[in-house]
Amino acid sequence: MNVKRVAILLRRELLQGPKSFIFLWSVVLPIVMSLVLSLVFGTLFSDKPRLGIADDGDSELVSLAQGSSSITTKEYGTANDLEEAVRIGAVDFGVVLPEDFDSLVTQGQHVEITAYVWGESLAKHRVIAQVTLLDLVRELSGREAPVDITMNPLGDEASIPWSDRLLPLLVLMAVFVGGMFLPATSLVTEKQKRTLEALTVTPTTLREVFLAKGILGFIISLTMGLIILALNQAFGAQPALLVLMLALGAVMAAELGLILGSFVKDMSSLFAVWKFGGILLFGPAIIYLFPEIPQWIGQIFPTYYLVEPVVRISQQGGGWSDIAAHVFVLIGLDVVLVGVVALALRRMRRAIA
Amino acid sequence: MNPKAVRALVAKDFTLFFRNRFFALVTSLALVVYVALYFVMPGSVDETLEIGLYAPGWSPIAGDIQQQGLEVHVAESEDDLKDGITAHDYVAGIVLPADMAEKLASGQKPRIDLYFASDTPEEAKEAVSSLIRELIYAQTGQPLAVDFSTEVLPGPDMAGKQIPPRDRMRPLFAVLLIVFETYGLATLITEEIEHRTIQALLVTPVSVKDLFAAKGITGITLAFGQGALFMALVGGLNEQPVIVILALLLAALLVTGVGFLIASLAKDMMSVLAWGVLALVILVIPGMGIMFPGVITGWAKVIPSYYVVDTVDRVANYGAGWPDIWQNLLILLAFDVAFLLIGMAALRRRFQ
Repeated sequence: MNVKRVAILLRRELLQGPKSFIFLWSVVLPIVMSLVLSLVFGTLFSDKPRLGIADDGDSELVSLAQGSSSITTKEYGTANDLEEAVRIGAVDFGVVLPEDFDSLVTQGQHVEITAYVWGESLAKHRVIAQVTLLDLVRELSGREAPVDITMNPLGDEASIPWSDRLLPLLVLMAVFVGGMFLPATSLVTEKQKRTLEALTVTPTTLREVFLAKGILGFIISLTMGLIILALNQAFGAQPALLVLMLALGAVMAAELGLILGSFVKDMSSLFAVWKFGGILLFGPAIIYLFPEIPQWIGQIFPTYYLVEPVVRISQQGGGWSDIAAHVFVLIGLDVVLVGVVALALRRMRRAIA
Repeated sequence: MNPKAVRALVAKDFTLFFRNRFFALVTSLALVVYVALYFVMPGSVDETLEIGLYAPGWSPIAGDIQQQGLEVHVAESEDDLKDGITAHDYVAGIVLPADMAEKLASGQKPRIDLYFASDTPEEAKEAVSSLIRELIYAQTGQPLAVDFSTEVLPGPDMAGKQIPPRDRMRPLFAVLLIVFETYGLATLITEEIEHRTIQALLVTPVSVKDLFAAKGITGITLAFGQGALFMALVGGLNEQPVIVILALLLAALLVTGVGFLIASLAKDMMSVLAWGVLALVILVIPGMGIMFPGVITGWAKVIPSYYVVDTVDRVANYGAGWPDIWQNLLILLAFDVAFLLIGMAALRRRFQ
C-alpha cells in the first residue's frame, strides 16, 4: 500500500467529484431535506389542532389564539378564504368573527359564530379547538376562571416534539446519501468506462483505489453529518461522542458504498438497490417517527446503532454509559463490513484479471 | 410497425432484466419492503382524547363532559387515577375535590389537581385545562353567550371513520414504485445509445417506431406490474378495481413518456440520475399532498401525477366511482399523450 498514491487518487476524486451530479446531490440533498423537513414537516406532523380565523373586525381573539399553546392558529383575510382552507384541510376548525365581536362579548350579548369543520379532522381536534376557543372568549370577556388548576407531572419521560423525531431521518440521510453513493457510483462508473483496468496496469493497486474512494465517502459522510447536526442545533452536551458516532456511521456508509459499487453491475442495478435499500437504511428513522410502531423493530436495522446513540446524546443528554453498548455493536458491524469489503475487493480483482 | 420485431425487442429487454438476477431480486425485494412497511404502519386512527376523572361526591360530571372525541374514564381513587396516567391509559387525570360544589356555591375558588404524564405534549395539558374550566363554568350555570353555527366541509363527516395513515400513504407508495421505473426505462434507452446498439438495431428491419413500441411496452409492464401488484397486496383494489388499474396503467404510460424525455436529454447514466431525481421529486409532490392535506393547493394540479394519486386516493379510500373521477382519467390521458409524443419526438431527434 502506497500512501502517496492513495493521496493522489483521493485528490483526483476530490477535484473531479464536485463536477459530478452525485457529488452535488450528496451535499445539497441532505441540507435541502433538513430545511424542508424541519420547516414544513415539523409543523405538519404536529398533533395540535389547526384553527383558522377570518376576522371581519379587529378582534383581540386572534392574537389570544395565536398565543395559545394548545392550537395552531392561522388568520384568513376573508370568510371565503377560510372556507376554502377548511375545505382542503389546511385547518381543522374555522370561525368567522363578526365585526363587533369583542364588544358583544364584553357586554355579554349573544353572538352567533359561523364555524367550518374539516370533514376529516379528528374528533379530539374538534373538541380541543372548540374548547380552547371558548376558553379564550372567556378570557376576552374579562371573566375570572372559577377554579385554580394545579398541574402535576407524573414520571420522568420527556415529550418528544416532531422536530426532534425527524432528527434520526436527517442524520441518516446526511451520513448515507453521500457516504454510500459517492464510492458506489464512482466504482460503477469506473467499471462501466473500464478505467479501473487502465489504473491497475499502473503501479496503483485496486486496494488503493478502494481506499481512496472509501476515504472520500467517509469525508463527505462525516462532513454532512456534522453540518446537519449544526443546522439542527443538536450537538448536545457531548459533541465529542457525537462526532465519534458520526465517524463510525461514516465508516459504515463508505463500506456499504464500496460493497455496493463492487457488486452492482450498472447504474440500473444501483437505482434498484437504492429503491429497496433506502427503506432498509432509513427504517429506524421511520419507526422513530411513529411511536405506535413497536420500537424494538428498529433494532433489526444496522443503522439503528447509529441513530439511537445520536438521539440519546443530542436529545436526552446521554453520555458514554448510555451509548456504550450501541457503540460496540456499531464497531462490530463496521469490522464485519471491512471483511465484506475485502471479499468484494478480491472478487473484483479476479474479475479484472 | 413490425409486431414480430417489437415482440423480439421486448423479449430481449426482459431477458436482460431477468438475466441480471441481482437487479431482478432487488426490484422484487423493494416491492416486499413497501408492502411490509404498509402493514407495519398504524392501521387505525386514534381520534379520542382520553382523560381520567376522580370526582368523589360529584359523579354525574363524567356523563356531562362525555362527547365525541372525548372519553372519560372514572377512577376509583386518586392512586388508581395516577396509575392510569403512568400506564398511559389516558393523557391526563382530573381530581375534583369532594367539597367543590360547596366552594363554588359560596363563591370560593376550589383547587383542581390535574395529573399528566411527564411526556404529555404541552398542547394536551392546555387543552385539558381549558376543558376543565369550561366544564366548571357549565356546572356553575355560567354558559357563554356564544353559539357556533357549524358546517362540515367538504363532507361527508369522517369523524369516527378516519382514513388510517397507511391507507393515506397507499397512493404515494404506488406512485413511487411506478415513478422509479422512469429511471429503469431511461437507463435502458441510454445504455443502448451509449453502447451504440441502437444504431445497430436501426440498420436492421427494426424501425424507430418498433423501437419506441418495444421500449414503451417494457416500461409500461415494469411500472404498471409493480404498482398494480402493490395495490393488490395492500387491499387497494378492493374498491372499484377497474378504475384503480386503469389509473395505474395511465400512470405507467406517463412515466414511459417521461422516461423517453429523460433519455433524450441525458448524455450518460449520471445525467439519467440527475434528470430522474428531478422527475421523481416533482411527480411525488401530489402524493405528499394526500398524506398531508392542506399543504398543497390548486397548483399541484399542473403536475400530471396529481391525477393518479387523487384518483387512487378517492377510489380506494373514499369509495369514489366513475362519475367522480372520469375527468381525472381524461386529463391524465391527455398528459400521457402529450408526454409520449414530446418524448418520442425528442428521442427521434436524438437517434437521428
